[in-house]
Amino acid sequence: MRTESGAALFEAEGLELRFGEQLAFAVPRLLVEEGERLALLGPNGSGKTTVLKAMGGLLAPCAGSLRFMGEPVLSSRRLRERCVYMHQHPYILAGTVAYNVTFGCRSRHVGREQGEARAREAMRILGLEGFGRRRSRALSGGESQRVALARALAAGADVLLLDEPTASADADSRDLILEALRARARTGATLIFSTHDPGLARQLATRVILLDRGSVADDRPVDRAEAAS
Amino acid sequence: MREAFYLLFSGDPETWGIIGRSLRFSVFSTLFSLVPGIPVGVALASRDFRLRRSLAAVVNALTALPTVVVGLIVYSLISRSGPLGALGFLYAPAGIVMGQTLLAFPIVASLSYAGLTKLDPRFRETLVTLGARRLSRLVATLREARALLVAALVTAFGRVTGEVGVCMMLGGNIRFATRTMTTAIALQTSQGEFDRAMSLGLVLLLIALAINLVIHSLAPHEN
Repeated sequence: MRTESGAALFEAEGLELRFGEQLAFAVPRLLVEEGERLALLGPNGSGKTTVLKAMGGLLAPCAGSLRFMGEPVLSSRRLRERCVYMHQHPYILAGTVAYNVTFGCRSRHVGREQGEARAREAMRILGLEGFGRRRSRALSGGESQRVALARALAAGADVLLLDEPTASADADSRDLILEALRARARTGATLIFSTHDPGLARQLATRVILLDRGSVADDRPVDRAEAAS
Repeated sequence: MREAFYLLFSGDPETWGIIGRSLRFSVFSTLFSLVPGIPVGVALASRDFRLRRSLAAVVNALTALPTVVVGLIVYSLISRSGPLGALGFLYAPAGIVMGQTLLAFPIVASLSYAGLTKLDPRFRETLVTLGARRLSRLVATLREARALLVAALVTAFGRVTGEVGVCMMLGGNIRFATRTMTTAIALQTSQGEFDRAMSLGLVLLLIALAINLVIHSLAPHEN
């Protein structure tokens, strides 16, 4: 599905991304459409995190272009309003869980009441009811991932860039995260996530890009019927 | 030694007057030093400009500035023939606070800078991706690094409380007006009044100990 402007949600042309001196990712052309659930599948060092960070405007391309709704990602205001990148090991700000979950609402100037309602809903979906006053430093890895996802959802992000979203999660946390992502996808949100788990890609994605040593080795849609069986 | 404890615990008005005055000067000068110190530290840590490393090195070098040199610089400004002579700061508390502020500023700036550069790179990325703009990034950064900033504050306070050059040159060691613990110790030792000097020395020692305890208690909470 195209954006209102007719441009793809993300469009890369002759994109090259470096990590220090080393070329971490290169692709001649790549399009991601609005509402897609795209899995970046590949082993460690294949460039998954680098691509996600570049899409989130956190890493500058060293060659080529990367656009969000037709605008360069680094200067796109719409990217800042719609998109959140979540680290594999999320950084939870010092303070309480409630402070963290409402942070994105405050920085995006969402009204206080609306922000609190969004935060309550996001915490409910992710099984974080009663966590509001808990100190962020006391959270486990799985809880941190749930808090970070709740923070992204409460911020109103409808383009989620997720680096190994269930990497530190136990089975219960993983189920809650997957259900929250499916629910957000049903509202039309775009999910782009990295994983080295083909099972997770099949469960959640509508399209899988296989990365190998910094380039696209395969790019194909997921057969939902096959994935469900 | 017994006499020293007696002077402290009997509530000797002159001794406690000196202690109170010293702490007041130190508190004011440390607080004033935050005004330029923290913004300079934040700017050095968060902005990438051409002379950043050189400026950071200069600020760092200024932390070792001898107190008498600071005293000399401020003296030349506030002495009767200096550009700020009309303010009447020389041999007055304001002169001491001014000198000590200058002494504390590079410590606050340098330690803030050092602390802020140690923040996890994911922290900045998290703020950016959540749409935080300049002001909310600054507030979140100060909040995140508050333990490091308090450590910088406490270190600066310790430095100004224990210095003698600025107080002597700019305050003139005037009884009941600008006499501080360090200038009183210097004077009383030269006059052979070891008990009073020793009582003030004990207070300085306790302050140094308290400062170290505060810094150590903050260290494990660094980000």
